[in-house]
Amino acid sequence: MRDSLLARIVRSPEGAIGSVALLAMLALALAAPWLAGDDPLAIAGRPLLSPGFHAHLPLGTDRLGRDIFSGLLFGARSTLTVAAAVMVTALAAGAAIGACAGYVGGWLDEMLMRLADAAQSVPSFMLALAIVSVAGPSQPVIVAALAASAWTGPARVVRAEVLSLRQRAFVEASRLSGRSTLAMIFEVILPNAVAPLLALAAIIVASAVIMEAALAFLGLTDPNVASWGAMIAEGRSVLRTAPHVILAPGVALAFVVLAVSLVSEGASKAMARGQT
Amino acid sequence: MSSLNVTRRRFIGTTIAAGSLATGAGPSRAQDAPRRGGVLIVAADGEPRNINPAIVASNGVFFMASKVIEPLAEMTPGGGFTPRLALSWQGSADGRLVLFKLRPGVSWHDGKPFTSEDVAFSAMEVWKKLQNFGRVVFKNLEAVDTPDATTAAFRFSAPTPLQLVENALPALTSVLPKHIYAGTDIAANPANVKLVGTGPFKFSEHRPGEYYRLERNPNYWDEGKPYLDGIIFRVMPDRGAIAAATEANQIQLSAFSAVPLADMARIGKVPGVKVIADGYDGITYQLVVEINNARKELSDPRVRRAIAHAIDRTFVTDTIFLGTAKASNGPIPLFDKVMNDATLNPPRFDVARANALLDEAGYPRGAGGARFSLRLLPAPWFEQTRQFGDYLKQALRAVGIDAQIVNNDPAAHTKAVYTDRAYDLAIGSPVYRNDPAISTTVLYESGIPPGVPFANQYNYKSEEMDGVIAKAASEIDPARRVALYRDFQQIANRDLPIIHVAEWTFITVARDSVRNVANNPRWATSHWADTWLSG
Repeated sequence: MRDSLLARIVRSPEGAIGSVALLAMLALALAAPWLAGDDPLAIAGRPLLSPGFHAHLPLGTDRLGRDIFSGLLFGARSTLTVAAAVMVTALAAGAAIGACAGYVGGWLDEMLMRLADAAQSVPSFMLALAIVSVAGPSQPVIVAALAASAWTGPARVVRAEVLSLRQRAFVEASRLSGRSTLAMIFEVILPNAVAPLLALAAIIVASAVIMEAALAFLGLTDPNVASWGAMIAEGRSVLRTAPHVILAPGVALAFVVLAVSLVSEGASKAMARGQT
Repeated sequence: MSSLNVTRRRFIGTTIAAGSLATGAGPSRAQDAPRRGGVLIVAADGEPRNINPAIVASNGVFFMASKVIEPLAEMTPGGGFTPRLALSWQGSADGRLVLFKLRPGVSWHDGKPFTSEDVAFSAMEVWKKLQNFGRVVFKNLEAVDTPDATTAAFRFSAPTPLQLVENALPALTSVLPKHIYAGTDIAANPANVKLVGTGPFKFSEHRPGEYYRLERNPNYWDEGKPYLDGIIFRVMPDRGAIAAATEANQIQLSAFSAVPLADMARIGKVPGVKVIADGYDGITYQLVVEINNARKELSDPRVRRAIAHAIDRTFVTDTIFLGTAKASNGPIPLFDKVMNDATLNPPRFDVARANALLDEAGYPRGAGGARFSLRLLPAPWFEQTRQFGDYLKQALRAVGIDAQIVNNDPAAHTKAVYTDRAYDLAIGSPVYRNDPAISTTVLYESGIPPGVPFANQYNYKSEEMDGVIAKAASEIDPARRVALYRDFQQIANRDLPIIHVAEWTFITVARDSVRNVANNPRWATSHWADTWLSG
């Protein structure tokens, strides 16, 4: 079922454009060391060179003379890595929590869903800001901080699916065959409840990309890794004299978010078609 | 403006010339007779919690408070002092007495007369006991005698150099009114946020998050001054907004490089706006690589010397500071021509030498080219300290030291470096307070109790160094005192417990209509009684 859904996403025009753009970005990020040297933070030339005049510095340089093209590619790496890790963490945690709550029900359901309410009642960026400020900015902490609020969506969706699945005859049959509760949740229920998560996944990625950049903009990022948000923050002081410093990462950020949103759009349309 | 040092700051010089040409304003206009009236609107980037300059002797406080509360004397361009509340002073031969003649006919903003009692009270109860720097300079102050209303005799229990007391006058001797503070909890007195002074401007109003308003003191002791009717310090934390507001003539002046250096060349060309690099020499900041000498690798002087050789000071002054800084030759800024030892020869930028020293110290490159790894904590308070952190990481990479940058907010940085000493390298920005005994020797002296911030947090201990510092502290002969501080600089540059990289000052961005800007070496933190607006 999942394969056919993917195929349907790619067949929709939004999905096709979004997937191609996202794959292109992914390819560039993976190829960064071959395309743009081994250290994006190295000082590569005179400061504030304009884009387009130097073959080896195609997007020019920033305030310290660092290669902006290299920063973009390596920044894509860290941004996409964080976004993918947030997505996987949030989906896995959300699905597990939602499935347990939905299948077991009772006090566990109550407890887990109140926890989700609590997590949702704090604005997600504020929660991430608080966690990163306290635990210190490193990639694992940032992933955890962003996933801390992103898991509630998948949890609610999966719980609703499970509630409707648990009454079905095939679930009843597996239960009578003597499977344990855990086996029931992870072997029987979950595989049938994850399809709607695909559209959510794209939304989680898009918001993780933006929030990671926003945290970096505020200085809450690993300073030893190139990051778009940090590049935008540094470019702010030269906005009037050298706009390319801030434009390059800004456009890249918009490009990725747009690509992911198109994929998400394609996914929800594909699913709507699949249901009718 | 005419005193711009063109050879040193040619870049800014040309910028200003371009700006002046665009408006058709020549230097002749600057000689117009001063005009009375007008309110000057200034950008302020912060609102310190305590704005009493006698307690918190810092530039952030002085910027506003120095217009309200005056010191005994101010610095003069080219060296020496201009009398403010003190008219003259002289020291005794044994270094135990300094006699101040005070200005007569001065009154406080509430109408009470200013007398020697106020000076005695400020010195004994505030500068000596509560002030960050006064605790050092006035450590041995025993009593202040007041034989009459205009005489204050400072008696010291141990010889205290007159040179040191003089150098302390501009920044450390803000005089408070005794009748308001005596018998109260000075640190919690309401006058700490609603200042009462003798200065050219009276403190009128503070709206948190909006502005401070000062108004003209009509009874100021300097007849006819101040020229301005008032000053408004508008609180503007966003630096981009400050540049835009200056161009729109919503504010007329911003100091301390509130307009980012990177915007300096552009804004200097805007008609009606000038960029001024003078008026900060007396508050020179120093860019310092702070080193935890207790860390095994860094306890070896060869490693510290290698780090110094890895730094390209020209890159720092030209690219990070865009020409508004000079390379340091040691712990005392070149600006202090009396104390600075011009013969010092700091390690030059030489990557090969740095690599050789590290090999010699027994740290060969491992797999991946790194010899060892260090934590690097750049101070978060200036854009330039952070940028230098990014640069230093790269410079150290070239000599095989893997520096991992750790960013903290100001409170966490202060705790990590200056209290807990949980760092390997840090980047700091001490201010030189015009005498090594005030601001510099504390960085090298051992035996300072742990927990006292902004002192020797570097775990450096040298008996030779401690000996020279102790001897200089009680040496009252100016020439011998200077000689001892030359020794101090030699030892500092030999041992390199910390590395002084550059010294920098700031820029002021002002509308052409603001006159008499930057006419003393501490201008931004001085009285502004002679500043005027040409309509």
